[in-house]
Amino acid sequence: MIRQFSIAYLAAVAFAVGDDALPERVRFNEHIRPILSNQCFACHGPDEKHRDADLRLDKREGALADLGGYAAVVPGKPDVSELMTRIVSDDKDEVMPPRKSKKPKLPARDVDLLKKWIEQGAEYEGHWAFLPVAKAEPPPGADNPIDAFVRKRLAAEGIKPSPEADAATLCRRLFLDLTGLLPTPEEVDAFTKNPDVPKLADQLLASPHYGERWGRHWLDQARYADSDGYAPDAFRAVWPYRDWVIRALYDDMPFDQFTIEQLAGDLLPNPTKAQLVATGFHRNTLINTEGGSDPEQFRVEAVMDRVSTTGSVWLGLTIGCAQCHTHKFDPISHREYYQFLAFYNHGEDRNSKGATVPVAAGEMFGKPAESTDEAVGAGELEKLQDEWEAAELARQDAAGEKANAKLAEALRMLDAARSGAQRKLVRDAFEKAEPRARKKRIGNSDPEALVVEQMIMRDLPKPRETFLFLRGDFTRPDTAGGLLKPGVIGAVNAVMPGVPTEFKSRLDLAKWLVNPANPLTPRVTMNRVWMHYFGRGLVETEDDFGTQGTSPSHPDLLDWLAGEFVKRGWSMKAMHRLIVTSATYRQSSHARPDLAERDPRNVLLARQERLRVESEIVRDAALCASGLLNPEIGGRSVRPPQPDGVYSFTQNAKSWKTSEGPARFRRGMYVTFYRSAAYPLHTTFDAPNFQTTCTRRIRSDTPLQSLTLANDPAFLEMAQALAVRMYRDGGDLDARLMRGFRLTLGRAPADKELKILRDYTNAQAADFALDEASAKSLLSPDLAQLPPAEAAAMFCAARVLLNTDNFITRE
Amino acid sequence: MNPHYASLRDITRRHFFEKCGVGIGALALNQLLSADGAVKIDPANPMLPRAPHFAPKAKRVIYLFMAGGPSQLDLFSHKPKLNELNGQKPPASLMSGKRFAFLKGTETLLGSPRKFGTYGQCGMTLSELFPNHQKIADDVCWLRGVTTDVFNHGPAKLFMNTGFQAPGRPSMGSWVTYGLGSPAKDLPGFVVLQSGPRGPRAGAQLWASGFLPTSFQGVPLRGKGDPILNLRSPEGMTRDRERHFYDTVAGLNQARLETTGDPEILTRLNAYETAYKMQTSAPNLMDLSGESAETLELYGCDPAVPSFARNCLLARRLIERDVRFVQLYHTNWDSHGGQGENLNADFELVCRDVDRASAALVLDLKQRGLLDDTLVIWGGEFGRTPMGENRATLGRDHHVDAFTMWMAGGGAKPGIFGETDELGFGVIDGKVHVHDLHATILHLLGFDHERLNFRFQGLDMRLTGVFGNLVKGIIA
Repeated sequence: MIRQFSIAYLAAVAFAVGDDALPERVRFNEHIRPILSNQCFACHGPDEKHRDADLRLDKREGALADLGGYAAVVPGKPDVSELMTRIVSDDKDEVMPPRKSKKPKLPARDVDLLKKWIEQGAEYEGHWAFLPVAKAEPPPGADNPIDAFVRKRLAAEGIKPSPEADAATLCRRLFLDLTGLLPTPEEVDAFTKNPDVPKLADQLLASPHYGERWGRHWLDQARYADSDGYAPDAFRAVWPYRDWVIRALYDDMPFDQFTIEQLAGDLLPNPTKAQLVATGFHRNTLINTEGGSDPEQFRVEAVMDRVSTTGSVWLGLTIGCAQCHTHKFDPISHREYYQFLAFYNHGEDRNSKGATVPVAAGEMFGKPAESTDEAVGAGELEKLQDEWEAAELARQDAAGEKANAKLAEALRMLDAARSGAQRKLVRDAFEKAEPRARKKRIGNSDPEALVVEQMIMRDLPKPRETFLFLRGDFTRPDTAGGLLKPGVIGAVNAVMPGVPTEFKSRLDLAKWLVNPANPLTPRVTMNRVWMHYFGRGLVETEDDFGTQGTSPSHPDLLDWLAGEFVKRGWSMKAMHRLIVTSATYRQSSHARPDLAERDPRNVLLARQERLRVESEIVRDAALCASGLLNPEIGGRSVRPPQPDGVYSFTQNAKSWKTSEGPARFRRGMYVTFYRSAAYPLHTTFDAPNFQTTCTRRIRSDTPLQSLTLANDPAFLEMAQALAVRMYRDGGDLDARLMRGFRLTLGRAPADKELKILRDYTNAQAADFALDEASAKSLLSPDLAQLPPAEAAAMFCAARVLLNTDNFITRE
Repeated sequence: MNPHYASLRDITRRHFFEKCGVGIGALALNQLLSADGAVKIDPANPMLPRAPHFAPKAKRVIYLFMAGGPSQLDLFSHKPKLNELNGQKPPASLMSGKRFAFLKGTETLLGSPRKFGTYGQCGMTLSELFPNHQKIADDVCWLRGVTTDVFNHGPAKLFMNTGFQAPGRPSMGSWVTYGLGSPAKDLPGFVVLQSGPRGPRAGAQLWASGFLPTSFQGVPLRGKGDPILNLRSPEGMTRDRERHFYDTVAGLNQARLETTGDPEILTRLNAYETAYKMQTSAPNLMDLSGESAETLELYGCDPAVPSFARNCLLARRLIERDVRFVQLYHTNWDSHGGQGENLNADFELVCRDVDRASAALVLDLKQRGLLDDTLVIWGGEFGRTPMGENRATLGRDHHVDAFTMWMAGGGAKPGIFGETDELGFGVIDGKVHVHDLHATILHLLGFDHERLNFRFQGLDMRLTGVFGNLVKGIIA
């Protein structure tokens, strides 16, 4: 299919070329490359073995090169460009293409195109993704431009779009996509009565759960986890960064600012604490605390991971390929890789050592840091420490010869100016003197701590020297090749007019990534948003926009979305609203037998997709249906019950102190994630392992998933709670079962479905009536208040509902 | 199955395989983009058995992973010269440029206190701690010149398993099941068993599927309780009731399939049916009551107690049930000389745990005609230094330059391969680097290691990275 669409795309281009009138703006890829490629490249192209006259026209430098007082192409001046002279020459020894090539003279139109192209500056263009985002005008005929683009394409293929999904399905779809939670039956009813999609979209986008849902997508890319990785895989508290993400998305922080704060918040003037926490993005790299580890090796590993993560997340490029050699397919040289690496090479952090900032629970949500018995809020602590420092300095000054000179020296400095050792010296002394501080010991290794030291980025005062590593080996710096300065990908920068070519810091990098002229960032970002709504990006290889990736199925739509994103001030919520209110999004996801042959993969978007929800949402949905959900936002990660023995497979026996009370029922995204041994639900349902960035999750379907939903104690507990709800809310058996369908699937059952579940429940009730002991063993304390056989049968019905494909699928 | 949906699925599949070379989801995309040799996988049944590149000698693998790094100098590599120079400083020429995990530079050579003998037609040297290995001396391909790149446990284990020292790459078992699928109908295709006092360093990352789909990750069978997580039905749900439960779920899924026409629902129907079967097949696997007294005696296995011996027996039972790749981990080979890990009594203990059952597995497979096409691999993540450590009791540090592994069956050629220098520092003949070992193991399974790949982050990834040379001398 992809090949077919590429051809269609080319056909469109060919059509444009065939147009008689000269285009207003001559484009290299569209108009010029085909001429040069057909007529000139054989002798003046990339192959240096067959190059004549030392002239190459596939590169602008070649075309413009001084050939001894003249050049093939002089931008703006066709009359002095040798190329023009030659192609129109009547001299048989001069004319190009030459007679020996047996090519006819160039048609007049081609000559005119070349002339106009040179007049307009003779700009070259690269691969589509490296071209500036085109200003695409939506075709007429649809209210929502998205539909205009999609339908134009469908019409050209003679395919009709699918009808809108029924209101109940649409309501559940919007809830799951925007918040990751299920609508209540009452919310479905309200929407069915007045199916106002824009209104519901606004309501859901205003929910803090939107920040969680889309924050989780972002956290995948940020390779966020609650542990260090590698063999020891110690716990680390980095939830303030997670909270920052949730808050930033909920606030609809413009994506350019969102980028700048995460990549370089520390380099902004007078950064706020939140801006420092944001830089935790790149501290989510792994740390190896194993004995004998070379800290430099793991520092370099982390820096390299920052390079490839930045490349994947913002640019959709496989920059990491150039670590050992120049990229085989994309214009990223071995040297450029290390120039890019130089942005991150100044980082002060070295494996387990690095800058941190104390953050209290709730602080990222603007709550004042509260003082509790267990913890002193960070704000209060800072105040305490300030007071103590002043007093201690006075004491040291008065102590004369007995003074601790090192401590006194450190105390005289501002905290920010202190070295790591000095900060520790001061902190230790403070904690020794202040029992309240000691009691809540700030750290990031305590899962229970309410105030933690969030790891942040900070650069060394004096930049580290960066060299190219031969074959990517950090023990083999290419000192002969010279020091490398920070730099971006030249091929991308080439299409960004007016952008400085000198780069110094991560801040410069961040600003370059979100410069409105950057052709990749808005395309890549919008493509991933699209992927979450339709199961596949418009560019299917969402992490490879290079020449080895796939072409966009709807190039105009992608560019329109990218342009609109920038135009709307990089507002994510604006783009979400645009997409979910489109008719394309609202279509039914039912398969179309008429398209089974023509478009089995739904590339043309003539329908929606049924998508199995992610591991976290599997849990969240069951928590919603059972009514057990604790909707609290952010804070410490939690530990719901998990089977014994999960950690018997890890190096260091980890303690899993099961959370008590409402914390057991927090959303899936808050479950503590150990990189070496994740919560089994997560790995079973394809959560990534967060060793590296994850820009797209796989969706598998395995027997282990079935066993989890059928037998995992957590799901059985939820099935019990659901059974109680069904029983109490319902009435007669059918009403109870209807209630169950509506709580889990957000819709009333079809007659056939109701009959299947009714027959089953009746049979189970009859069976359990003869075996009350078994019935009782299935009952929670709440269920045990009800007649045992009936209660056990209700539990069985609830368990069935949680195990349906429909339940874990967004339709 | 409603014929309409079956045909819908068939159409989708046909497109997947023939018309576009494109399938459903990420898997297919990777196949589309990868170079020749990328494996074509049916996403609905990722374990569907597949043919490798050429006729294989081995159809399945049992990998006995000796976690911690067994001391080759006290088991396989007899070095009279080392005993002679016991207590002396190692030659400076051998030490320059070397890095060790714990050695400070003041340590001296340590001769082995163990008695060695020569066994079998091949004349393999074995120490007194491995008496049962004498019985398989001529069944085994002894690799005495294995080398690795990494001297810390976690990274070295990852390197041995995934060809890469940082986490995130697929393990060998994942690559093999990705390449071959698994004929096991109601058991996972890649199973992990574990024994010893603690879990291996790097943990579940050792059998993770990395960038391959999670269907190919190793499934650990648990020593205690149910062998597979969440295998057990809730108390009160009898087998009959569970049959009814699964049928009801299937009925509702079938109804939804008819409404939505989504062929992916068929996959879920299959997954639930397999789950139901696993509930009996997994406990049957674990039930050793049908094993004869002779067999239990051969392995030294008490059926009631989790142990390496029991895991070896389970490994045989797993491959009898067509599981493709079985990996055992046994810990406590990290003989530094500290508490619980000395080369004295602690080492004797771990040798006793491992010797008899390892040999028994080879003998048992042989007598059942399974050894010919089952490859057994035995070894740790590295070996141990000719120098002792300055600790309270006898111990050696990690050594990457020369250590011993063995393989049996599955086309591995019996005999001794490789030799080290007279002190055991380095390989003088028959060097087998980890990448070479991987290339050779894949070859025995019918794969050209350069063509078994998967496109990830723009690169065609392989178990062997950009390395690996076939070791022809060890192929039967």
